[in-house]
Amino acid sequence: MKYITTIDGREFAIEITDGQVQVDGHRLEVDFESVSGQPVYSLIVDGKSYEAYVYPDEDGWQVLMEGRLYPARVEDEREKRLRAAGGSAVSESAEYHLKAPMPGLVVQIPVEVGQQIEKGQVLVILESMKMQNELKSPKAGRVQRIRVKPGASVEQRQTLLSVV
Amino acid sequence: MNKVLIANRGEIAVRILRACRELGIETVAVYSEADRQALHVRYADEAYLLGPAPSRQSYLRSDKIIEITKKSGAQAIHPGYGFLAERADFALACADAGLIFIGPKASAIAAMGDKMKARNTVIAAGVPVVPGTEGEGALADEDLLTIAPKIGFPLLIKATAGGGGKGMREVQNIEEMPTLLHSARREAESSFGDGNVYLEKLVEGARHIEIQILADQQGNTIFLNERECSIQRRHQKLIEEAPSPFVDDDLRQRMGCVAVKAAQAVGYVNAGTIEFLVDKDKHFYFLEMNTRLQVEHPITELITGVDIVKEQIRIARGRQLSYKQEDIKINGAAIECRINAEDPFNNFMPSTGVITHSMLPAGPGVRVDTGVYPGFEISPYYDPLISKLVVWGETRAQAILRMRRALEEYRIVGVRTNIPFHQTMMDSHRFMGGQYDTRFVEERFSMHDIEEGKTIHPEIAALMATLVAHQSIERSAQVVRRGERDTSNWKWVGRWERIHR
Repeated sequence: MKYITTIDGREFAIEITDGQVQVDGHRLEVDFESVSGQPVYSLIVDGKSYEAYVYPDEDGWQVLMEGRLYPARVEDEREKRLRAAGGSAVSESAEYHLKAPMPGLVVQIPVEVGQQIEKGQVLVILESMKMQNELKSPKAGRVQRIRVKPGASVEQRQTLLSVV
Repeated sequence: MNKVLIANRGEIAVRILRACRELGIETVAVYSEADRQALHVRYADEAYLLGPAPSRQSYLRSDKIIEITKKSGAQAIHPGYGFLAERADFALACADAGLIFIGPKASAIAAMGDKMKARNTVIAAGVPVVPGTEGEGALADEDLLTIAPKIGFPLLIKATAGGGGKGMREVQNIEEMPTLLHSARREAESSFGDGNVYLEKLVEGARHIEIQILADQQGNTIFLNERECSIQRRHQKLIEEAPSPFVDDDLRQRMGCVAVKAAQAVGYVNAGTIEFLVDKDKHFYFLEMNTRLQVEHPITELITGVDIVKEQIRIARGRQLSYKQEDIKINGAAIECRINAEDPFNNFMPSTGVITHSMLPAGPGVRVDTGVYPGFEISPYYDPLISKLVVWGETRAQAILRMRRALEEYRIVGVRTNIPFHQTMMDSHRFMGGQYDTRFVEERFSMHDIEEGKTIHPEIAALMATLVAHQSIERSAQVVRRGERDTSNWKWVGRWERIHR
């Protein structure tokens, strides 16, 4: 399988076939294992030992190694072409659903249904771990469908309200 | 005293339990429904349920805690920090119930807990303070807006009943002040049930340096030198070190003597901490007194050799301090990193979940105080502190190198932590040079900067991400082909050639 992996705008062509790994056309000796079944991975390349956390996220993968986070996009060639044709995903015109980034208690909702809001305006104040967190709108628009009330306990990723 | 109830949870409850164990004192834990499996419950000799997870229904239930103390036959209560630790009414209720409160007298908590009273008390004792409206009572917004220009901008709005940065706002000019007053009052109201605020001049280039003191009932008061706590974010301390790279012997002596004077002004007994702001010209101002054990007490323990929690118990038993001022020396340097369940790559957003895997750093000069273990859930009910990683070195430079080593060893899976923040800080030239103030993290520090001389490995990261992605594709393919075993064990043998950048 051939992959194009992008980190910080730099592309690496990585091919994995039948126990062989090539990076940018160079064959490598690779020993790769997850540590006790956790998303912590140990990699030995030519006797050099590395360890990193590798997590999936919305746009691909996050590799945390030696205190540095490397967001990585891993695509096969078909996916890369599709994306190039489709263009960027995040649109100012799309509906935005504010989801709770963590479980917590809704302290205040300083907006109303139908209200015109600006980008960066506070939509919900959520208390978690004794801190009040201001959840802001990433776009300008109109508030629609407020699904929670002040005082409500919410779960992580629960939709709180929408902005159109 | 042979049995102590610990009215707290998390790492500090475990810390106090350990001191009691070493002293041969029996321990009683209390816990909320969310903490049934917490370490302090597992370690204690006895444990009693307080109530549901929210603090108000559990760890703040002073009536129930006193009732359990009596039922268990414990003679004393150690409050730790937070929760009931700085509640004068609780200290008083303990005394009324014939129990020993391991801490200062209720009158000292009250005098230092009310910031205005504290300020007036220390001013009278000749201790320097920061200019502001503290001690002038609860002023209305109109009055504050009139006074603000006289104090001068930038200034801080602070909650009268506050602490830990809650209800605090920084004001650059008069125009933005009404909005900030409103939000500060709102946060103060919801955190402390008291929306009163005061103004204080912002000391620029300020360092936050505090003095640990110990006082016994015989009237001996000593100071255990300073802790440098300027590495903060939103007024929450993240890294502390002792001694401070900024403080020389002369300043240390002067601050220590003033701290002792401030403590004596309220008849202070037990362990306490006087916080100061120190400006770039080494002028120092009294900020507040924390009338309790401090989160960062271990760094003082490492450089002085004094076990502060054991001294607290000794003092509460009515004995004299084990040390005189001249016994207190500084040996080497210590650093503490607070490991919080916060994502430093996502604006320090709190992170909750079950810790699925954890490997603690160990080896020479490393101490980890924690209340969690694999399988334990970090819940949104309490503060995000997972553990305190503390190291000691013969010199500050060696302590930094040791902290880097320990941070790299530390593995926590299941929640995001701020370990990468600490690693970036330990690599930062400004931190290494000791050149920082309380604004450093927010204004001149970035998780994305790469310090000169630091090697990064994007090609290794790319390889890791691709191997994991490939593995997950293979796995999903395997689900379809039922019954077939995975023969690949992620070993590839090929010819090694260096990866070109």
